[in-house]
Amino acid sequence: MNMFSGHVSDRLAAYIEEARDATRVERHLAECERCRADYGQVRAGIAALECLPLAEAPASIWSSIESALDASPKRPAFAPWKLGFAAVAAVIVVSFTYWIVNRPSARWEVDGLVGSPVVGVKHIGQVGRVAAGEWVETDSRSRARIKIGDIGSVELAPNTRARVVATQRQENRIALAHGEIHAEISAPPRLFFVDTPSGTAVDLGCEYSLFAEEDGSGLIRVTRGWVSFQSNGRESLVPAGASCRIRPHSGPGTPYFDDASDSLKRTLDDFDETSGADALTAILASARVRDTLTLWHLLPRVAAADRERVYGRIAALTPVPNGISKEKVLNLDSATLSHWKDELAWTW
Amino acid sequence: MLRFALAISLLATSAMADGFTFTIGSSVAAQEAPFKSAAFVFRTERCAEPAKSQITATAEGIVHGARRSVPLKVSALQRPGVYAVFQTWGNEGRWVVVLKGVCQNETAGAIVPIGPKGFIRESSKFFPRPAAGTEVDASLKTMVEGDSK
Repeated sequence: MNMFSGHVSDRLAAYIEEARDATRVERHLAECERCRADYGQVRAGIAALECLPLAEAPASIWSSIESALDASPKRPAFAPWKLGFAAVAAVIVVSFTYWIVNRPSARWEVDGLVGSPVVGVKHIGQVGRVAAGEWVETDSRSRARIKIGDIGSVELAPNTRARVVATQRQENRIALAHGEIHAEISAPPRLFFVDTPSGTAVDLGCEYSLFAEEDGSGLIRVTRGWVSFQSNGRESLVPAGASCRIRPHSGPGTPYFDDASDSLKRTLDDFDETSGADALTAILASARVRDTLTLWHLLPRVAAADRERVYGRIAALTPVPNGISKEKVLNLDSATLSHWKDELAWTW
Repeated sequence: MLRFALAISLLATSAMADGFTFTIGSSVAAQEAPFKSAAFVFRTERCAEPAKSQITATAEGIVHGARRSVPLKVSALQRPGVYAVFQTWGNEGRWVVVLKGVCQNETAGAIVPIGPKGFIRESSKFFPRPAAGTEVDASLKTMVEGDSK
């Protein structure tokens, strides 16, 4: 089938507002210029609507309404049974809307790619289904793919055990006990989560692999978009082309680009384990422009006395943009750090 | 006389550095889900009204020894002045993307080589004017010669 026979213009508002049909829409947008142009217009329209100020109605409007009401013929009083009926109808509508928004979606489909993976306690053949609360497990000779509603899929490598936690439209969540998964998600950020013993991987619109041992140690490697890995108030933002170690207790390590030097990766490991000053010196010395990803993450992780060294190294590698105050960076002002990260991302 | 020439030269350099130009980045700089598959993204710099700027792009390539030219449609992102380029040229041969921009009375150009792993930042060239055809040919020639070494 020619993909252009199915333009997605009429689905863009639902995609932008509710991530409906995200996989199909994003795949189509990546290929279709016409729909990308439509996407820009719909997105701009929604943004404009959100920016509209609330305007107070002029006082004169009430007097004109009152006079219009006075002029209209009197209607008979509303019958009590009608009021009761309206109240019941309103409750039904509100309940139904709440259910639509929060209902668990249908069970996710599980494809047995190789061998015979287990869902719950049953071996599945080629296709099975999994609900929230159930486990999916592969042995050394099986692989499985879980379809995550209509936003993407997760492939389970051999010797992987994962539990489906939530299958709601606004929260799609699995827990990886051990093993390796490869996730491909086409959806607006923060709709898909993977819990591990060391923290939670939050999808920011991406494709990534996540490996975790039973004790929670492991690695996340991102191939498209961004992933946020969060634990105990610490967050690592990992873009495409970068990886991040995860550890029990200490949570996400400091992310690094896969093409960084071996010496930087090695000393970063040391630093994440020990926070040693020698390791920091070696990291700063071997960092390239692209390694400002790593250095930016180090700003809140180094001792306050070392923060200026990290700032200085980033500033030496790439000019500090307007609006970034050194004082605010050293004080870890979150808006300033976020702005700087967005600017540095142009060099990543 | 020498001092005057130096002053003029410094002024010219400064004007070029302060003028309208492009910055390129990988799709991670876009931070918008539908553009994560873009070949690269770019933004206008020092353009007072980016919404009114005129941006065009073409993919210029050499495929089996023959020159090819593919007009591209740049996609505007939510932030004004930020655009994405998607690969609509073929996988065979060697290609560069040529950007051209007009902002008020200023122009800018860029040649962005595309390698097997995506755009090549280090070999990209930026101009305070549209890139000349000879400059595009020279970039392609450099890439083809690099293949044969």
